[in-house]
Amino acid sequence: MSETMQPELAAPGNPPRAGFLADVGRAILAACAVVGGMSVLQVRILRSTFARGAFDYDETVRQLFKVGVRSVGVVVATATFVGALMVISSGNFVKGTGATSIVGWAAGTAIFSEVGPVLIGLMFSGRVGANNTAELGTMVVTNQVDALRVLGIDPIAYLVVPRFLAMIVMLVLLTCIGDIFALAGGAVACSALLGIDMRVYWQGVLESRLVDEFVMGLVKAFFFGGGIAIVSCHWGLGVTGGARGVGRAVNHSVVTAAIAIFVVNFFVTVLWTW
Amino acid sequence: MDHVAQILDVSLTLSGTRVLDQVTLSLAPGRVHALVGPGGSGKTLVLKLLATLLAPNDGEVRLFGDPVPHDAPDELRAVRSRIGVQFQNLALFDFLSVAENVAFPLAQDRSPPPPDVLSQRVAAALDSVRLAGQGDQPVQALSGGMQRRVAVARAAIGQPDLLLFDDPSGGLDPVTTSRIFQLIGEHQRRTGCTVVVASHDVDRLALLCTDFHVVHGGSVIFSGSLADGRACPDPRVKVFLDVRNDAT
Repeated sequence: MSETMQPELAAPGNPPRAGFLADVGRAILAACAVVGGMSVLQVRILRSTFARGAFDYDETVRQLFKVGVRSVGVVVATATFVGALMVISSGNFVKGTGATSIVGWAAGTAIFSEVGPVLIGLMFSGRVGANNTAELGTMVVTNQVDALRVLGIDPIAYLVVPRFLAMIVMLVLLTCIGDIFALAGGAVACSALLGIDMRVYWQGVLESRLVDEFVMGLVKAFFFGGGIAIVSCHWGLGVTGGARGVGRAVNHSVVTAAIAIFVVNFFVTVLWTW
Repeated sequence: MDHVAQILDVSLTLSGTRVLDQVTLSLAPGRVHALVGPGGSGKTLVLKLLATLLAPNDGEVRLFGDPVPHDAPDELRAVRSRIGVQFQNLALFDFLSVAENVAFPLAQDRSPPPPDVLSQRVAAALDSVRLAGQGDQPVQALSGGMQRRVAVARAAIGQPDLLLFDDPSGGLDPVTTSRIFQLIGEHQRRTGCTVVVASHDVDRLALLCTDFHVVHGGSVIFSGSLADGRACPDPRVKVFLDVRNDAT
């Protein structure tokens, strides 16, 4: 009897142990392949980034505009409402205790160190990372990547490095912009919804000396940008199977990038506060 | 150099499936070679071997007299600079204009020509494919036939020694198809390069090509002139090369 018949012989709800272990093994191997592939890609990106004249300047400028300038609107909208929510969620406690002076500190700390970079990173991943995977995947299935190779152009240097640099630079800048608008959203919410004088809020922010949190947020944005670029390029360049393959790759890319953001966030926070 | 390219007893396995089986093919220089065979027979894979995009599992691919240096990036780049490819689905860069697409092989060269020379060469290339004045258009704005002509211009602008065309008439009307084949012929006569055309259109290939190679089931089962092919007793060869007789 052929091996493919064997699973049908197992009693329902009681799968053979070997099958379960095989599934676990396959999942671990698949995860290792993904992590290994991304590690190799990262090494190739770094090698191409620092090789003299290896990456394309025009393509880098094009990517800076595409991933950065076109993301400002969505980042501003997200950050403004998140900043307002930060203040509103702490409103009951602040009003209950009368400790209105801490509202600026609480909002500033949360926005600078956690909520700002993480939420903007997730928005960036959904907008830019997914788009990047789809774009590279389409280039793969339409032979555009092969066309580059046959012209003697390294797709890593021409396609990936500009995206890697653009995503890092622009996510750091977008996080700065997002922080400002989140604080502004918090100030408006503080005044309009909690009835706390805006000057008290801004005084709380400024007197809390949140430089450390602000820098930590930017460091996170730096790593999120690099992570999103590597994840999205890895899945994009690995597309097989036409349009359906592109859709699958985008799905994998968004999920992997979200996981990567939370893992990186954890480690940066732990190392920063060590 | 007796042959521009040689595929010697090459086998290729992709995703566990043997897709090419002991393929042997020699391309004499300065001639126009036709690659014909049923869909899925391996024509595109043979072209990809010649374009150095695939490395064989067994056997050897020799280009311009030497084995393809897959493990030496700089040498491989030098070999690739002598090859032009028009892909089946064209592979035009949709983020670039028509002129930028055509200029791409030269602009990305390690020693690109000065901008004014580059512009002149692009204009001449577009003129040669009857697309003068269309350089600023985005490629998606062009019709299928015009896009194919852009792809021909891009493949040929570097004046490669080996030009590969994968189904250059795919999905085109007869008039545009004739125009594309005419352009390929004109370019070959002007430059004397070696051309390989993979296509099902034997009638038009007969007007353009000097050598015919029939691919069937992942192997090259015939190489020779069209007349020899039509006289070949193997029905798998006759069925493709005798299309004109069947139709008329």
